[in-house]
Amino acid sequence: MDGTTAVAAARPPVRAGRPRFRALVPWLYLAPLLAPLILFVYWPLLHTAWLSLVRWNLQPGQATEFVGLANYAGVLESSLFADASWNSMIYVLAAIPLKVLLPLPVAVFLWSLGRAGGTYRTILFLPTLISFVIVAVVVGWMLNPIAGHVTALLSWLGMGFANPLATPDGAIITIIVLSAWKVFGFNVLLYLAGLASIRRDLIEAMRLDGASDWVILRRLIWPLLSPTTFFVLIATVIFSLQQVFTPIDILTEGGPENGTTNFFYMVYQLAFRTFDIGRGAAGTVLLFLLLLVITLLKLRVLEKRVHYQQ
Amino acid sequence: MTSAPITFGRPWRVAFHIICLALCLSVLVPMALVVGTAFKPANEIYDLSLWPSQPTLANFGRLFGETEFLLYMWNSLATTFLRVVAQLAIAILAAYAFARWHFTGSTLSFALTLGAMMIPHQLVMIPIYIMIAELGWFDTWAALIIPNLAMPFAVFLLRQHMMSFPKELLDAAEMDGAGPLTALWRIMLPNLGPALAALTIVLSIDCWNEYFWPMLVIDSPGARTVQLGIREFLEENFEDFGALMAGVTIASLPVLLVFFLLQRRIMETFVASGLKG
Repeated sequence: MDGTTAVAAARPPVRAGRPRFRALVPWLYLAPLLAPLILFVYWPLLHTAWLSLVRWNLQPGQATEFVGLANYAGVLESSLFADASWNSMIYVLAAIPLKVLLPLPVAVFLWSLGRAGGTYRTILFLPTLISFVIVAVVVGWMLNPIAGHVTALLSWLGMGFANPLATPDGAIITIIVLSAWKVFGFNVLLYLAGLASIRRDLIEAMRLDGASDWVILRRLIWPLLSPTTFFVLIATVIFSLQQVFTPIDILTEGGPENGTTNFFYMVYQLAFRTFDIGRGAAGTVLLFLLLLVITLLKLRVLEKRVHYQQ
Repeated sequence: MTSAPITFGRPWRVAFHIICLALCLSVLVPMALVVGTAFKPANEIYDLSLWPSQPTLANFGRLFGETEFLLYMWNSLATTFLRVVAQLAIAILAAYAFARWHFTGSTLSFALTLGAMMIPHQLVMIPIYIMIAELGWFDTWAALIIPNLAMPFAVFLLRQHMMSFPKELLDAAEMDGAGPLTALWRIMLPNLGPALAALTIVLSIDCWNEYFWPMLVIDSPGARTVQLGIREFLEENFEDFGALMAGVTIASLPVLLVFFLLQRRIMETFVASGLKG
């Protein structure tokens, strides 16, 4: 992305000759992309902002009533919002050790194995390909109190078993673990891509100076990898907020006692479970602002880290 | 292959191998259990064994005989095919314009494209839901396909590939009288083969595995996709786990098969796509 403007400047302008028609040509190529982008992304964002200011229950005949910021107040004061905020924080905090820190040493190890690490890498990547629906359904099946294999295994070992999905704490832990399982190999792959870009001669030079592996890891690889680490961190934060929607919807529907709902699921609950479009839209605008802050933070930090480029 | 960049000491190597093996088992054991259960007769369903002593196809028979799974497969296959073809056509044309020409508005258009990458479905669901209601598109393929035509990451990825293509070849073709569309079709695309193949597969997997959007716009059984069907099984035939695991096996099989065809390229494309669930 950084090179965009420089490269763009180097490109020739659209060729001269019948100038009026020529200027239109690129837009013919872009129209099939821009039309759906405006219709299904940018216009809905504006429409949502408008809907957040009215009261409406999705009935076509029903008139909408302008209520100003009342929907925002309604969302912010609700216990659902409090629960969703708390849970979102738990999802993100649990994600950092499981999805950001743990894959790093594993990636460094696979990197050190060279080609021999390929099998590990491929197997760890497989959960990325399996749909979240299937992961959730299989987990639901294994934890089933009557027929589940986890239940059977534990009773075979002589231990009793309570379905973790029945309690708020157990349910959120279950979703955290299965979402970590799903994204672990993908994050390993992201780290491997970062490691592959580190120049071997820098490592060789340090080694000639007598540096140990540990010093090379800490003084050279860790700093050079920091843009990747930061990218993985941001991507994982967004993933941990958004992608758990599917297991939440399939396994718990936000419960028990709002124990697993998060910002993304809350917005869905408001709009399509209670059919309170105004509050749903207000929650959506708040969520948009949160994602915007995360994205701007990412752009800012990535710009500052450029000096580590080799 | 050059020598290993870092050589861990022996105890570390052993420890890491154990960790990696444990992680791989956490992936492979549940997969084996699912596939094994799909072939288990009713009296072995609750056994802990990975593979049945009397394998049977009865679960698949019930899956296809007593449920609409075949129809769900057809809905998923057809909408995935149509949607990915349209997504590719749109992305190729746009990427070509961005890679080839600099014109008034191109920077803004590109910024709009990149910006859309950061907008998940849940942020635009309410207005699109209303739109689909007004158009009467619930329970149709159109509702699955049309709101998802623009794929910004595909545009971004293809533009990268196209920009590294020698421009002289395209210019030479245009000197010889070929229009820009001919240059794209005859010169650019044939050289993008592997990248396009991997992108096609990643887009297809993405569509095949999608849950949120179909869940929002599909209600009737006749329009269900495979993912929606699997979820319904969990809720409706709660006790027929054999058929459920047969369905899970069949729903995952195409994705895994396709992955092993183009493994390395697909992993690279997934990395480039930023984040795919």
